Amino acid sequence: MRHPLTTTTPERCAAAVSDLFDVVFQDLESWRDSIAQAGASTRPAELDALVESLVIPSLTLPHPTLIGAGFIAAPEFVHGRDVHFSWWLGPLESNPLLGITTVPTRLDLGARIYTEYLRDVRQLEWYSIPESTHQRHVTGPYVDHLCTCDYIFTVTMPVRVGQQMIGVVGADVSVRRLETALLPLFLAADQPLALVNAVGRVVISTEPTVQVGQLAPHDGAAVDCAGVPFRVLISPATPSRD
Amino acid sequence: MAADRRPGAREAVFAQLNDAGRAEQVAQRLTDAIILGVLSPGERLPSEPELARRFGVALITVREGLVILRDTGLVETRRGREGGSFVIAIDAQHHALLRTRLRGLTQVELSDIAVYFSVIVEGCAARAAVRTSTLDAERLAAWLQKADFTSTASARSNAGGFFLELAVLTQSARLVREQIQVQAEFGPLLFLGMDDPALRERIAAGFRAVVPALQAGDGALARRLVGDQVQSLAEWLLAAKARVERGGQLDETSVDDNNA
Repeated sequence: MRHPLTTTTPERCAAAVSDLFDVVFQDLESWRDSIAQAGASTRPAELDALVESLVIPSLTLPHPTLIGAGFIAAPEFVHGRDVHFSWWLGPLESNPLLGITTVPTRLDLGARIYTEYLRDVRQLEWYSIPESTHQRHVTGPYVDHLCTCDYIFTVTMPVRVGQQMIGVVGADVSVRRLETALLPLFLAADQPLALVNAVGRVVISTEPTVQVGQLAPHDGAAVDCAGVPFRVLISPATPSRD
Repeated sequence: MAADRRPGAREAVFAQLNDAGRAEQVAQRLTDAIILGVLSPGERLPSEPELARRFGVALITVREGLVILRDTGLVETRRGREGGSFVIAIDAQHHALLRTRLRGLTQVELSDIAVYFSVIVEGCAARAAVRTSTLDAERLAAWLQKADFTSTASARSNAGGFFLELAVLTQSARLVREQIQVQAEFGPLLFLGMDDPALRERIAAGFRAVVPALQAGDGALARRLVGDQVQSLAEWLLAAKARVERGGQLDETSVDDNNA
């Protein structure tokens, strides 16, 4: 062993994944509570001001984990026909849809161009699952062509007042940033590892034949990541070619 | 990925532009969107600074582009708090512009566009076939089942959406961006054939056949099916160009054209 002091275990890798998402969950919980507590104003402008004040600090950290965040209000709550997006995007690198931005920008639905497109947003996984399960949910990894045009996770949590869900708070985490944070640790393990989601889609891998984005069939040993629908596969099988 | 959303054409209208002749490109992009019905009459365009940001060009370039559109009579600018640039509805004129647009493109350009588009979506289909989870396929099937292909506008929007969803299923952000770009540039033209009810129906059936191919992991079949749909669209476009060049109409209203 050339680096005996730098080795880690699959369990530690799994725990690091959980820890990273825990921070996101904590953000969401505090936003959820603030919004539910605020009683909350059902007037979009006031709601927006509140949500903006809540999410901007997390989007403007020096090395933010989040690339977008906000609250999506149920139509009934804002007395509208459609859901109401109080959603902010962190600074974006070159992006064919949104250009380049250096400060957080509001996801722009006011110009009508997205309205038709988002009409059935309540059927999207990141809204429908928390709505039906009353639980937080991690969607992805998936290519989000709605907001960021990037390969991301969307973490959402229902906001409930009494028995009613008034919307979901959510945050986007890019796969790239997750990798930057976790790959060194994964590389320090003795065996090849692959982080996969619930359907076996690869997020991070130290086995070159098992690549990000593909589905990795796996019967071997694996470690569940507590609190999130991910597993760390140990010595993942080389799959048939993509 | 999700059931029932209608991704594609609309936001793609405002995607970033290439370098040369940017004001003309702004005008062309918006002209295509208007004459092909992606932007509706009466609709307000995003503000000038917003357009500049979205297209990735200077404010002055957007203004020049809008001047071209105003001169063509496609938008009008209203002042005041409720002001902005609004799409004007003049169907006859739109039709004439569309014919002009088709005549302005050579056969070789149209064929080239079709090849380029086809190679991208065929590649997406092949890759999607090995990367689509059961859940993804079910969602796509559910979306497609409810997707309306009975009207021109919804068929265009849903065809764009379907091709974009194929790109999404590859898990490649680059392919998704490329698909958005290529649809922004050529989508309105390529989907012109959606005016034809028979073609709409055939393409919708073709799309529906793609889903089982994805589910079965049959990349070769998915690729072929997608390629066939683009081929149909390209053939319609070239036939329409031939009709226009002969001095006829865009639509297949003349019996002669069917027999030609």
